[in-house]
Amino acid sequence: MDRDLPNSSCEQSIRSSSENPAEDSLSPETLASLRSLVITPSTPDTTISSIFQTLTRSLQLSRDPLVLHHTLKLLSDLASYRPSLSSSVSELVRSHALLSSDSTRLAAESLDVLASIAEREGTPVDLDDRSFVSLCFGPSVSVRSWLLRNAERFRIGPHVLLTTFLGFTRDPYPYVRKTALDGLVGLSKPSVVEDLDMIQACYCRAVELLLDTEDYVRSAAVRAVSAWGLMLVAFNLKTKLYWSDNLFVKLCSMGRDMSMEVRVEAFDALGKIEIVSVDILLQTLSKRVLGTTKEMGSFGQCPAAEVERSASSVAGVLVHGLEDEFYEVRKSTCHSLRTLTIISAEFSEKALNLLMDVLNDDSMFVRLQALETMLHMATYGLLKVQGTHMHMFLGSLMDGNMSISSATRKILKLVKLPNLETFKLSVDGLIDNLERHPQDEADIFSVLFHIGRNHGKYGVSIINEVFEEMEPPSEGKLGFDTARVAALLVLAISAPLSHGQHACNIPPIIFSYAVTLLGRISVALTDVMNQDTLLAYLSQCSRSTRFSAMEFNLREDKPHLPAVTIASLSHSSNEINSTVGSPFQQGEDGAANLQYQAIREPMEVASLHFGYPLEVQDEVIRSMNLILAKVKDIWPLIQSGFTNEVLRVLRSFKEELATFASGSLRFVGDVAFALQYLQVVKQLAKVWEHFLPARKLCSGMGELDIALGKLETSLREMRSRFTGLSLKQELQILELLLLTFTLRLSKVESCCQVASLKKLSTTASHVESILKLGSIEPSNFMSEVSKLSYLTRTSSFGAPCDPFLFKELLKYFSLEQFVVFGTIGHIKAELVVPDNDAENHLPFVPRLPVGIPCEITLHNICSENKVWVRMTMDDESTQFVFLDLDHFGSSDEVRKFTYVVPFYRIPSALSFILRICIGMECSFEDVPSVKRYGGPDRELTYLCQEKEVHLSMVGEH
Amino acid sequence: MAIECLVLGAGQQVGKSCVVVSMNGKRIMFDCGMDMAYHDHRRHPDFSRISEYGDFDKALTCIVITHFHLDHIGALPYFTEVCGYRGPIYMTALAPSMLEDYRKVMVERRGEEEQFTSEHIVECMKKVIAVDVKQTVQVDKDLMIRAYYAGHVLGAAMFYTKVGDSAIVYTGDYNMTPDRHLGAAQIDRLQLDLLITESTYATTIRDSKYGREAEFLKAVHKCVLGGGKVLIPTFALGRAQELCILLEDYWERMNLKIPIYFSSGLTMQANMYYKMLISWTSQKVKETYSTRNAFDFKHVLNFDRSMISAPGPCVLFATPGWISGGFSLEVFKQWAPSEMNLITLPGYCAAGTIGHKLMSGKPSKIDLDKDTQLDVRCQIHQLSFSPHTDAKGIMDLVKFLSPKHVILVHGEKPKMATLKGRIYSELGIRCDDPANNETVCIPSTHHVEVGASNTFIRSSLNPNFNFSKMSSEDESDSRLKDGKFMPWLQVKDERAAEGILVEEKGKRAKIVHLDEFLLMLGEKKHDIRFAYCFPINTDNLEDTKSTDVSSSSNALSVSGRSSWLPMLYIKLSDELSGGNIQYFGEQIQVESFSVSLCLKDRCPYRIVDSPPNKCEAVFFCCAWSIADEKLAWKIISILENRNYGTL
Repeated sequence: MDRDLPNSSCEQSIRSSSENPAEDSLSPETLASLRSLVITPSTPDTTISSIFQTLTRSLQLSRDPLVLHHTLKLLSDLASYRPSLSSSVSELVRSHALLSSDSTRLAAESLDVLASIAEREGTPVDLDDRSFVSLCFGPSVSVRSWLLRNAERFRIGPHVLLTTFLGFTRDPYPYVRKTALDGLVGLSKPSVVEDLDMIQACYCRAVELLLDTEDYVRSAAVRAVSAWGLMLVAFNLKTKLYWSDNLFVKLCSMGRDMSMEVRVEAFDALGKIEIVSVDILLQTLSKRVLGTTKEMGSFGQCPAAEVERSASSVAGVLVHGLEDEFYEVRKSTCHSLRTLTIISAEFSEKALNLLMDVLNDDSMFVRLQALETMLHMATYGLLKVQGTHMHMFLGSLMDGNMSISSATRKILKLVKLPNLETFKLSVDGLIDNLERHPQDEADIFSVLFHIGRNHGKYGVSIINEVFEEMEPPSEGKLGFDTARVAALLVLAISAPLSHGQHACNIPPIIFSYAVTLLGRISVALTDVMNQDTLLAYLSQCSRSTRFSAMEFNLREDKPHLPAVTIASLSHSSNEINSTVGSPFQQGEDGAANLQYQAIREPMEVASLHFGYPLEVQDEVIRSMNLILAKVKDIWPLIQSGFTNEVLRVLRSFKEELATFASGSLRFVGDVAFALQYLQVVKQLAKVWEHFLPARKLCSGMGELDIALGKLETSLREMRSRFTGLSLKQELQILELLLLTFTLRLSKVESCCQVASLKKLSTTASHVESILKLGSIEPSNFMSEVSKLSYLTRTSSFGAPCDPFLFKELLKYFSLEQFVVFGTIGHIKAELVVPDNDAENHLPFVPRLPVGIPCEITLHNICSENKVWVRMTMDDESTQFVFLDLDHFGSSDEVRKFTYVVPFYRIPSALSFILRICIGMECSFEDVPSVKRYGGPDRELTYLCQEKEVHLSMVGEH
Repeated sequence: MAIECLVLGAGQQVGKSCVVVSMNGKRIMFDCGMDMAYHDHRRHPDFSRISEYGDFDKALTCIVITHFHLDHIGALPYFTEVCGYRGPIYMTALAPSMLEDYRKVMVERRGEEEQFTSEHIVECMKKVIAVDVKQTVQVDKDLMIRAYYAGHVLGAAMFYTKVGDSAIVYTGDYNMTPDRHLGAAQIDRLQLDLLITESTYATTIRDSKYGREAEFLKAVHKCVLGGGKVLIPTFALGRAQELCILLEDYWERMNLKIPIYFSSGLTMQANMYYKMLISWTSQKVKETYSTRNAFDFKHVLNFDRSMISAPGPCVLFATPGWISGGFSLEVFKQWAPSEMNLITLPGYCAAGTIGHKLMSGKPSKIDLDKDTQLDVRCQIHQLSFSPHTDAKGIMDLVKFLSPKHVILVHGEKPKMATLKGRIYSELGIRCDDPANNETVCIPSTHHVEVGASNTFIRSSLNPNFNFSKMSSEDESDSRLKDGKFMPWLQVKDERAAEGILVEEKGKRAKIVHLDEFLLMLGEKKHDIRFAYCFPINTDNLEDTKSTDVSSSSNALSVSGRSSWLPMLYIKLSDELSGGNIQYFGEQIQVESFSVSLCLKDRCPYRIVDSPPNKCEAVFFCCAWSIADEKLAWKIISILENRNYGTL
């Protein structure tokens, strides 16, 4: 009943206005109440239709631009909230849009309404070219730039658009120039323009604007120059090089612009050029103008002064880019080197010298990009590493940042080292790396195996030098525990698979030693062979080399004697089957075959067989993995809606796991991780209930949102509160996150679609970046999601996607098994405020800060993590204090210290309760959530339970 | 109106900087430096040239100081306290607080007598008005100054100065490449009459600093891994912070635990300045500032004298930089004899210092004084980082700003001459390198304030662009104009150009629209057209008709004069490909060219009175405007050639 009151008053006002047609303008209050009626779903249709009539009258009769503006806005709302009315609204506004030629601003607003209605219905707006152009030529600058920006929505003929955009690059208003340039970029497609003159005109006009006074115009001009320049380059094969050089020089001249944005655009654009004269290219690496550039005719038949000018604008541009103040520019330069190094080998050699130095950059993003460029060069066989590079290059292996060292290792897998010395340095570097970061063992073994296979000769000579070191110290007991020996074993066993004929020199006993590490090695070599194959290979080598030793010795005398070695066989699986026999035939459907990969396409061979039986050193880990395997099996139960059953099973698993936690301190992290995983599965099961066909109608919207929120929080914790996760594990967690967002997006009624969509696309791109790093095959679900998220990212209006598309995705998902290796550390904190409880209060002096003594224990937190103390009062006002970990102990594993946390916002009360808690910034939240000073930049994950601290004024105890 | 530029210091020399610029009635002194090579009156700029009678307050509008180095600020206390200047002084916030420290260092280091006292400084600094980076200060009604980031040293600025329509930039010292703690110079693209730039390295071009950094780190890392000690002698400000950030970053990444020490309290104090003035540092330092101050060195500890002979590896920063005495010498004596240790030297050491001796070849023995000789077995690494821009940077800045005129100061004469030549030849900008006490006069922009008529303003609000296509005949010669490629299709928007400036006697100058102008004058718009009347042989036309026009036109009775025009039309369409030929019944139109039958007996445009074969000829009259002259003659020749061709 209460709701009816405002409604009726509104209706009155509508009625009164309809009774007095003379009073043609609506007051702001009326407009506001109309709006509230429009957006309330429960407003009856009759009211809505009278609102529509009122608005129609207002639109037709009113002359006040402000009222007209609001009327249009309301009509737009009306159309979006009441789809049934949208065609009438569109009809009305269309007739008005044609009438209101006196105000271009209102005409543009009407067009906006029409366009948004049309977009919802998927039909085009009929705006003829002539009216579009005449609106553009109106005096209002903001309308002009709005029209140019939105031209795409009105399906104006591309040729009309092209001339309009080109014309408006002359506009005296910089924003119009910028918009026009951006529009030109959008039109730079061969399907739109076929006329050479037109392409040249656009290109030259954009080049002129490179000298604009405004930063943003220059940066748009760089984009336009790049887009049209590339059109020009592609236009004619004969003039290709000429125009490519021309474009290259033009872009280079912007590399020293004073605006960071312009420089980033310039270097991004340079990376798109595929062909350019070598002397120009070499000039970019030298700030001095080289003699060759002056002499050579790469700049066409230009006069000498022009050549000199071009040469000096090219000179050293890439060097400048790499030493730029802004990491964005440095990163972009590194990226552009990817394509440029392919153009010339001489250039790539010189650029590599610079890139190696970039590994010393202070920004992690830049170092990573430099390594990715090197990886790219290595894939193209252009990475000519030299002795002088080794210090910097191997230094990256030691880098505290995981992704840097992992990227370096990926390069090492492919790199061709020039001599034994560099090879030794690399192997030593890897062993050093292994000793410091045992959790990367699998990856490091894999690198050692590849590097050994690529450099068979060097590998053999190292093994022979250190063979004695690898012999077990005492008879009977084999002790290959040291990382160094294990690493050398892996290196040794790779030699027979190398391309040379050096296998013979490896003592066969080494292969027997290697068998003892079978599990560990086979985890590392999943991209090459599976465990059965590995075992067969090792036993073959350890047996047959003993027999063939004589054969090998003989071979020097009789080179033509057919010698059968594994090395020569490894190229073809058939031969292995026929000669070596049974062990290799065990595998079904050829999985046991050695997979040989050419050095040029290592990326393509990416597979992970998770079906291997783990070599388990520890009973606890094995039992945990058994439980985790069972968790995977309950997925069908969840899907079919046996929720109670599932929850019961999960509870029993949880109890079982909990026994390990009390048993061994060693795997406390892994147990916590597994428990957290169970928690996630439990929440997932609860969420899934809402997606079952039977429950469709009765599920409350809020309930699902809460359940989804819980699931997301648990997954976030899983992601941020554990260290030592493998890439695979991280990927699995990300997949679950993707699932969460997809679930949210697939419900029509669920709120925050835009935010979820954004999260989905960030997570998806994160997944992509991990997939790029490791040789892991994405699951069906992941690839489907990334396809869809790519679509939504590229769709021009960022409109929320259809929930049904997301619903479709769900059927691709299935739960994968988590495997733990005993390497996980649990990030947690303990916080005690001694001698403080409801009885014993801390004293404070009014208006003065109070220090709260806290005994804090931090587990597994390294100094890169940003840890904050959060203090909240009853009124939810919060204060953060940053804990600089460098001051509190050096060990990353456990830090225990007492810290007096200052609290400043003392309320004017006799006593109060402060809730205090420790949180850590989520390092993976790429975009800082809120930028506020004096608090964390990113979202916090809380590491302990909130503690209540009781305070009372001095003397008031 | 001209800009007058009097160079009182740093003209063709690196020393006391002082330039006095007069523009539009204002007189500004940029920098007021001291030449430390002299101990007499030559150490100060010759202030008498500003005002013979010492009335500096009237002679100068203000003083602008770019940064706190003594060769830029050293003479200021003398000028204010001794010469008695009382006007405003502008400088960045940092300079006042640094000057006192800097004076102390100079006195301590050089053991010189004080050039000015602390009281002088205190008094002088009372007159100073602080300017922040990118802050615009309106000194008085006409004079505006704005500071831009210069990079050279903490708090160094370039100054943009504008009086009326004349604008100049005085750079002071600057650096165009960033280092680990300071950013690169940054300025907007301004319309300038004059750029006064330093040219310390007028001919040097430096390679990337990355390589040198990597070498330095490698040498230090190798040394400490081998258990050696590294001595880095530096001065308090600048390099110490830069190297320390570099080392910290490396220590962090490589997870090294070897201690880094700072020797003197002074360096610690300098770090305090850096912490306070974070807005003057590089992007990276600013970005990380919210969580961690880059100058809160994590690994850096205070060094105690007793640690000199303590075992184990370490890195030590000690003053002074040239090992000319003090603590760095003390440490050097202890550490130099061991092969394991490493000394890194800056790129430049003054002659006579130990640093200088170490740099010139690798001596095995060094005479400390006449009695003591020191064995030097340690490794020596030379580092040359400079906070000045190189020649490439100067060229880049000049190119970016594209001023009308450049004046070089703060450099060596022969090198400046080379750079001057380059600026003129490569960028086409006039450039001067005056000596001390010389004055350079350059013309400046002169703007006239005018009114604008409403019609003109309205016409310039509406876009008015048009496209022009170069005719195909221009193709060969004009596509490359001044070495620049010109496309055939060009776009123009001539709104502004369409106004006409009217200056009537006794009235303010005004810009009016073209239409208004005609109205004002009471005149009509005249359009120049060319006309020509010429005969065409009709026999010939009959031929055309029979060959080109098909039988249907034959069927028409063709003797009438009215059919000649269509025939011309067909002929033209055949021969003039691409033109926009239109036929209107009475005339044929191609662009502005029109041709029609001339029925007059005596046409004023007729040049040839009668054709050879009188009765068979028909006269045609044509007209065109000047823009289509070439086209017109082409058409006429087509028509006439045919005519004469048959004869």
